[in-house]
Amino acid sequence: MTYEIQPIETSASPRPRLIQMPAVEPPKPTVAQAKEAADQAQAKVEIKDLRFYYKAYEALKGINLTLHDKRVTAFIGPSGCGKSTLLRVLNRIYELYPDQRATGEVLVDGQDILDPRQDLNLLRARIGMVFQKPTPFPMSIYDNVAFGVRLYERLGPRRLDERVEEALRRAALWDEVKDKLRESGLSLSGGQQQRLCIARAVAVKPEILLLDEPASALDPISTQRIEELIADLKSDYCIVIVTHNMQQAARSSDYTAFMYLGQMIEFDTTETIFTHPKERQTEDYITGRFG
Amino acid sequence: MEARSHGPAALTAVGLAPHAMRRQRLGDTLFRGLTQSFAIGVLLLLGAVIAALAAGSVTAFQKFGLGFLVSETWNPVKEVFGALPAIYGTVVTSLIAMLLAVPVAFGIAVFLTELCPRALRRPIGVLVELLAAIPSVIYGVWGLFVMAPVLQTTLQPALIDTLGNVPIVGALFSGAPYGLGILTAGLILAVMVLPFVAAVTRDVFMTVPAMLRESAYGMGATTAEVVRAIVIPHSRIGIVGGVMLGLGRALGETMAVTFVIGNNHHITASLLAPGTTISATLANEFTEAVSDTYTSSLIALGLILFVITFIVLGAANFLLWRLSAKDGA
Repeated sequence: MTYEIQPIETSASPRPRLIQMPAVEPPKPTVAQAKEAADQAQAKVEIKDLRFYYKAYEALKGINLTLHDKRVTAFIGPSGCGKSTLLRVLNRIYELYPDQRATGEVLVDGQDILDPRQDLNLLRARIGMVFQKPTPFPMSIYDNVAFGVRLYERLGPRRLDERVEEALRRAALWDEVKDKLRESGLSLSGGQQQRLCIARAVAVKPEILLLDEPASALDPISTQRIEELIADLKSDYCIVIVTHNMQQAARSSDYTAFMYLGQMIEFDTTETIFTHPKERQTEDYITGRFG
Repeated sequence: MEARSHGPAALTAVGLAPHAMRRQRLGDTLFRGLTQSFAIGVLLLLGAVIAALAAGSVTAFQKFGLGFLVSETWNPVKEVFGALPAIYGTVVTSLIAMLLAVPVAFGIAVFLTELCPRALRRPIGVLVELLAAIPSVIYGVWGLFVMAPVLQTTLQPALIDTLGNVPIVGALFSGAPYGLGILTAGLILAVMVLPFVAAVTRDVFMTVPAMLRESAYGMGATTAEVVRAIVIPHSRIGIVGGVMLGLGRALGETMAVTFVIGNNHHITASLLAPGTTISATLANEFTEAVSDTYTSSLIALGLILFVITFIVLGAANFLLWRLSAKDGA
């Protein structure tokens, strides 16, 4: 399954206060961060007092967070802390399951996607998602990439070919599959399958990419390729990545959110989180003292 | 010397004395022999049935040759027999049943796995499965006394008035509405086969990984698109299995069909006309078969049914083999 539920440890919660990140970025001490400020990263997603329930169990306890466009934000935290759940709220995939519901606001470009009137299919076309394990569809490599495009756009064969090639190049998979586009997506290796899934997500030109531990089932070399891919894709998308791998978060993200027991403990630039975390819990987690 | 004895000594040191090990090995051997004999026993039984059918039908095939398969005559008085009407009826009623049952079964499976409120899932599933638990003789009685008269006054006249006027296809729906006949038998069979196909299809639909389903929904696909592009292709091997299971049952079903088919040894173009099937002929006429030729002809019919089901099974396996070969995984 894609999420784990852990029992609430009453001794550890509720936390006395919740760290809320201001939408305005804090003063930047380093050169890199100053340069970043100059880029003027724009807020793409604003999450306000988001609560999430599996039946009666409150899995997210009032999350406030801003995700920036053309930046990578990593969600880290121990299993069951709610990071995957938070990701699953952003495209409302949780609504496939009748016992799950969310309250609060999630503003994408100022528009609340939790609004019941929001068209789910259009929302999901704008927000791509890649899962822990590769999920190639039972069809050819070409059709896998073209799947989402065909759902929403009427492209002629040549333009569709171009779009598929573009997406596969974007996912650094083109050279490996260009001669066997008609073969089943299941015939690829695990790392290739995951890049195929990224190509599939990219092909519909989404605005936001959600990556739920995209490299957790892959070998180190494939993992490295995925990380390079994320760095490359960042120039066009607002990317959110859930990861258990601290090095991966440190390497590939601009911002990091540390979550614990359904709460956002700390959110800051990745450099700050990994060098001068403000919270003791964050420090303990990233240094491996618990988690 | 010491080094060589070290191995067994180390093993026995774990706590198993040599005689205990021998006993265990003996137990394994016995167990394997027992299960093996079960498996081989079934094969022998199958062989014996085939042999008995073949031996019993020798007289018929000697007298009528392969013409038995294509002759339409069935005359117990003159002792001239041909299997074609029964073969035709068997195949056509089964095809009608599958044509009607498979789409409905698909619909049920899709509803139960993708659309149904969770609270209704189990009750509806159980009710559909209960359809399979009704004894076939009850279907037969119901078909004869309830369904056939209703069809005779409603569906069949309507078919004759509409589709009956269409060129070519019209021949299938021409003639008088008898109530009993090929179409009625096909309808009964459809109801009987439905729960098998629906249950198997639902079960294989449920084996589609949640993550795969979510990825498709995550692309913005609608339920219909997810079912068509993901769920059905992913479970097609299981679906073939379910359809073949239903087809096997339809081909061999005897009791209900015997009630409603009309038992007429003639091939008529119209589906509304009475006909017969292999199993219905056997059930009806075994008590009347006094001569060797008559009995042998009936046994030959049984052999033919056996061969037909065998071909269906073989075709299903071939199809599965092709499908899995195409996946290339």
